[in-house]
Amino acid sequence: MIGASLSAGQAAALLFGVFFALLLARVPVAVALGLACLPSLLIEERLWPMILVQETFNGFNSFILIAVPFFLLAANLMNVGGITDRLVRFSRSLVGHFPGGLAQINVVLSIFFAGISGSSTADAASQSKIFIEAQRREGYDDSFSVAITAVSAVLAVIIPPSILMIVWGGVLTVSIGGLFLAGVIPGLLIGFAQMATVHVYAKLRGYPTYPRATLKEFLVSAFISIPALMTPFIIIGGKIFGWFTATESACIAVLYAGALSVFVYREMDWKGLRMAFSDTGRLSGITLFCVGTASAFGWLMAYYKMPEALLSGVLAWQMGASMTGFFIAGVFLVVGCFLDAIPAIIIVGTILQPIAEAAGLHPIHFAMIGIVSLAFGLVTPPYGLCLMIACSVAGIRITDALKDTLIMLVPMLAVLAVLILWPDMALLLPRLIEPDFLK
Amino acid sequence: MAPIGARGVLRRFNALYAALLDFLLVISVASIILPVSLQIFARFTELLPHYIWTEEASRFLLVWTVMIGAMIAIREGTHFNVDLFPGLKGRTKAAADIFAGLFILLFAFVFLWWGIEFTDSAWYRISELAELPLWTIHIAWPVAGFSWIVFQGERMWDSLDVLLHGEEHLP
Repeated sequence: MIGASLSAGQAAALLFGVFFALLLARVPVAVALGLACLPSLLIEERLWPMILVQETFNGFNSFILIAVPFFLLAANLMNVGGITDRLVRFSRSLVGHFPGGLAQINVVLSIFFAGISGSSTADAASQSKIFIEAQRREGYDDSFSVAITAVSAVLAVIIPPSILMIVWGGVLTVSIGGLFLAGVIPGLLIGFAQMATVHVYAKLRGYPTYPRATLKEFLVSAFISIPALMTPFIIIGGKIFGWFTATESACIAVLYAGALSVFVYREMDWKGLRMAFSDTGRLSGITLFCVGTASAFGWLMAYYKMPEALLSGVLAWQMGASMTGFFIAGVFLVVGCFLDAIPAIIIVGTILQPIAEAAGLHPIHFAMIGIVSLAFGLVTPPYGLCLMIACSVAGIRITDALKDTLIMLVPMLAVLAVLILWPDMALLLPRLIEPDFLK
Repeated sequence: MAPIGARGVLRRFNALYAALLDFLLVISVASIILPVSLQIFARFTELLPHYIWTEEASRFLLVWTVMIGAMIAIREGTHFNVDLFPGLKGRTKAAADIFAGLFILLFAFVFLWWGIEFTDSAWYRISELAELPLWTIHIAWPVAGFSWIVFQGERMWDSLDVLLHGEEHLP
């Protein structure tokens, strides 16, 4: 055996038992993950609590994770530097004349935003401020406005670049360039599913629409937005062609967004810049601190060989590839209700990886199933960050927005089911553009 | 009514300390950009030498950014939790906050106590690439433990006040 006082089962009961008990007591998730490690570290003779400190240090001491503050900063710079405003105008000229025009703009802006930033929480925070009050004034129901803002924000981690893809690639050793390409089709399909949902809502409830933009308005707003719309091609192209690492591509996004704000759109001032840095630091601290304690938690799971124990149990069920895909999606959807996506990748992704491999799922296909499922977890309570942010901006309770959110999730879940049954939704673009990523 | 005595001192100390941390946070976020940009430009132009310290320096700045951000988040109560009882108000909420706060204090104590040992173990060591003294990074852990205790202490003191005297009494 491993020379531990506790068996894998006992240690799992202790780790997860303490963790869930602390969650129930409303202890912050990051703290609960860290404290759950403490009993084992004190019980085992070979371990001691400094391992918790050491493992959190190892968790943060990662070049890949630097991409997280960079993408948050790029999003903040877009907002204070006037880039977002230009993209709103361009989105309006594209879809403003559809039924529910403002809500359609909400979704389309999320698609553009997703191509520049990789953070759904940044998307939810900035778009809640832009859209919820505006939609309220135009007569949309609050629960609808909150729900569409929250569900469209999840596109930011499905459409590349994406913080989740970078973390997944780093933790589970999958090509990040391959993941970027794999996210394009599922992301766009989920975006279209949301636009269709808005269309049905708008028809049923008679939501307002804008007059169709003239060709001139369209061309002018498109021309002004070109520099901003170039960003995804620079970031993703640079990663795919091997010019930059993932972190460097995020840094390029920051420099590019900063240059656009200062030299092209000229709306940046010192106060805005300082706020952008300060907000980025705060959100990075909250988002990444739990990476440290999740790493310690994952380290203990590995110490007790829990993934191996689980693998032999699940293999006995003899599921095929598609069934395993649905099983993985189910696990991530449930975990996503209670845990943020990044610690979920560190803890649950590593457990499921051998199961996916044994079932013959391609690593990139497995990653996309996991990332899309975890992205949906961003709007499922009790722990759905994007929904929480949108609700707090709107000043309504999560329970009030729940029904519309769940309705909007149905077509999105249908896209996830197709993704599981049809691996090429993820694998087609990597195969066509850069087959090396699939090896 | 502004709190007086020890509580007033703690509140003023925390306000100043938080302003300092916010300033340091802005500096650390802004300065991560520099080493990573240098690394990119050194690769694509002949203007700069290939510095070996950029990768490590940016990682250490990330560590400090995360730790300072996490310290401020305890003061502002913005670390995410799973709120299974969103309807709590008044004294019930204060009691629940104090109960959860005790665990945050325990966690802060772990970081302070074993963080000191962690810093001590790195006292004479230097980093592999940039050759920075390692204690300058490790010391973030005991500092975080200390910061959480003073910030969480102030929050719990406020909750205790609500618990004893009701909500309208809060300064």
